[in-house]
Amino acid sequence: MRTRKFQFFFLLFVLMASIHGNQKEPIKDALGFSYVINFPPQRIVSLAPNITEILFSLGLGEKVVGVTRFCDYPPQAQEKEKVGGLVDPNLEKIKALNPDLIIGFRGNPLRILKRLRSIGLPLFVLEMGNDLESVFSIIKKIGTVTQREKESESLIQPLRKKYKAVQSALRNVEHQPKVFLSIHGFGFWTSGKESFLNDLLAKAGGVNIAGDIPQKWLLYKQEQLIHQDPEIIVILTKSPEEFSKAKEWISNKTHLQGIKAVRTDRIYYLDENLAARPGPRLFQALEELARLLHPQNFEAE
Amino acid sequence: MMKIRSKRLRLLIVLIVLLFLGLLTSLLVGSVRTNLQDLWNFIFNHNKTYATIFLDLRLTRALLAFLVGASLSISGAILQGYFQNPMADPFVVGVSSGASFGAVLAINLGLSIQVFGFSLQSILAFATGFAIVYFVYLLSQRKGVFKVETLLLTGIAAGALASALTSFLIFQKSESYEQAVFWLLGSFALSDWNQIAAVLPYFVLCFIIAQWLAKDMNLLVLGDDVAQSLGCPVSRVRKTFLVISTLLAASSVSVCGIIGFVGLIVPHWVRILIGPDHRSLFWFSSLTGGIFLVFSDLLARTLLPSELPIGIITAAAGAPFFIYLLNQRR
Repeated sequence: MRTRKFQFFFLLFVLMASIHGNQKEPIKDALGFSYVINFPPQRIVSLAPNITEILFSLGLGEKVVGVTRFCDYPPQAQEKEKVGGLVDPNLEKIKALNPDLIIGFRGNPLRILKRLRSIGLPLFVLEMGNDLESVFSIIKKIGTVTQREKESESLIQPLRKKYKAVQSALRNVEHQPKVFLSIHGFGFWTSGKESFLNDLLAKAGGVNIAGDIPQKWLLYKQEQLIHQDPEIIVILTKSPEEFSKAKEWISNKTHLQGIKAVRTDRIYYLDENLAARPGPRLFQALEELARLLHPQNFEAE
Repeated sequence: MMKIRSKRLRLLIVLIVLLFLGLLTSLLVGSVRTNLQDLWNFIFNHNKTYATIFLDLRLTRALLAFLVGASLSISGAILQGYFQNPMADPFVVGVSSGASFGAVLAINLGLSIQVFGFSLQSILAFATGFAIVYFVYLLSQRKGVFKVETLLLTGIAAGALASALTSFLIFQKSESYEQAVFWLLGSFALSDWNQIAAVLPYFVLCFIIAQWLAKDMNLLVLGDDVAQSLGCPVSRVRKTFLVISTLLAASSVSVCGIIGFVGLIVPHWVRILIGPDHRSLFWFSSLTGGIFLVFSDLLARTLLPSELPIGIITAAAGAPFFIYLLNQRR
């Protein structure tokens, strides 16, 4: 009798679990629209390089049918149909690709995202966030909408491990150097408080001299630069060649000669392709940056 | 008389053919390759493959471009008659810049309310556009006479001020470079049926009023005193014209940003072809202006792999013409 009862409840449990498993609850995207996941998407259009990168890392490269002209990693992404840029995706091209999932983000113009939805295309919009932790939630969200939860977990795990390893290597850092982060190489564009690069710098054990300005990207004033006197300048460029040109440009400016970073020649290169995208490779950039700022902490290994 | 009538008829036929060609090419050409066969299948065999592309993306663009071109051209024709000045147009007089300031202000303040069916955005666009044109009107009028130079200079100055304020509002919020391009140079890239519905009523209403008052405009050109003595209620007519020309420009600007020089060149072309009678000038201008913008938009979206703002095309066509007109006056 008891086993009967047990069997009954067991069956009931299995039944309920299976019902629950099949029932797809709509999830909300960053614009507050609900999105129902009925089936794993077969034709995905990505509207940002980091989204493309994550999709490929989740093993969805085959399913990606359209990317932006900035999506150059992994190299296979370059062979996909280009649907335009981040701020000027071409509606016609996207429509013609007949996607069953478009993944955009809040940096795409709102009017374009709305228009995509109003012509009836399946759009899911991501919030990119402004710290390293949000990379995990972006990966998780993408895993959820593409029904690749397991893969997204196994993508996140080693990244988290690397993140923790860097944190523990830096645990006894006493002096956090003041850093100026140059984004375009030429000119004085940098990242303010609202960008994930600010968090990247903080987690790598540095202090962003523009970190108190409540903006994402901004043009830093040269006066401020001289006044703040950063110990280190990190330049984000696409290649070492571009870096050496940018470094020369900064070090040759006579009015910047007095800055500590220029005097002590602590001007470093950080690969823009790694650091400027909140994707899996950002943690590689974190480690590189931490090594640049605190080489002694990594010597022991 | 006979000659002008046959000229008009010939022009009308040419324009209708051009309009047909313009709409057809707009439907066929785009970043996605489509041909006549696809269009035929869509219309007659109900093949839905390209339905969204033909109807929601290409047709809305072409229709909106036509409506905006028509609105701006009538607005230009009215302003040229109003100020008795061949160089007036909503862009030159500063109405467009004023209206775009109002539209951007409404967006920045987060005002998306509807009042009596009109969006607050277009109301604000109208208000600021009207404020500018009235300001220019007051400054350029000396003892009932308009001085051309003062009109142009005050218009350009007021327009520059409004554009500066617009840019200020846009750049206050970072990461909105594409917004700035949209409002200052214009684009039809995101046209939809709602925008057509937003512009069409204004256009129809103002078109009917303009056509109805066209005879009075012919009298105004002779001078206010003469017009008055010939039985034209001058001040009422003038006010009406100022309001509708602003309304036309403001409604256009609030859906597609500033598109310059259309209202300047189109009425001139028409005047050269069929003469200065406003009764036919107004509606021929709207037809020609509509066609002009349909073709300009076609160029804007096909010239380069990524889209150009349409204001670049119209300015490239309009600015040399403006200089030519200025030179002719000497």
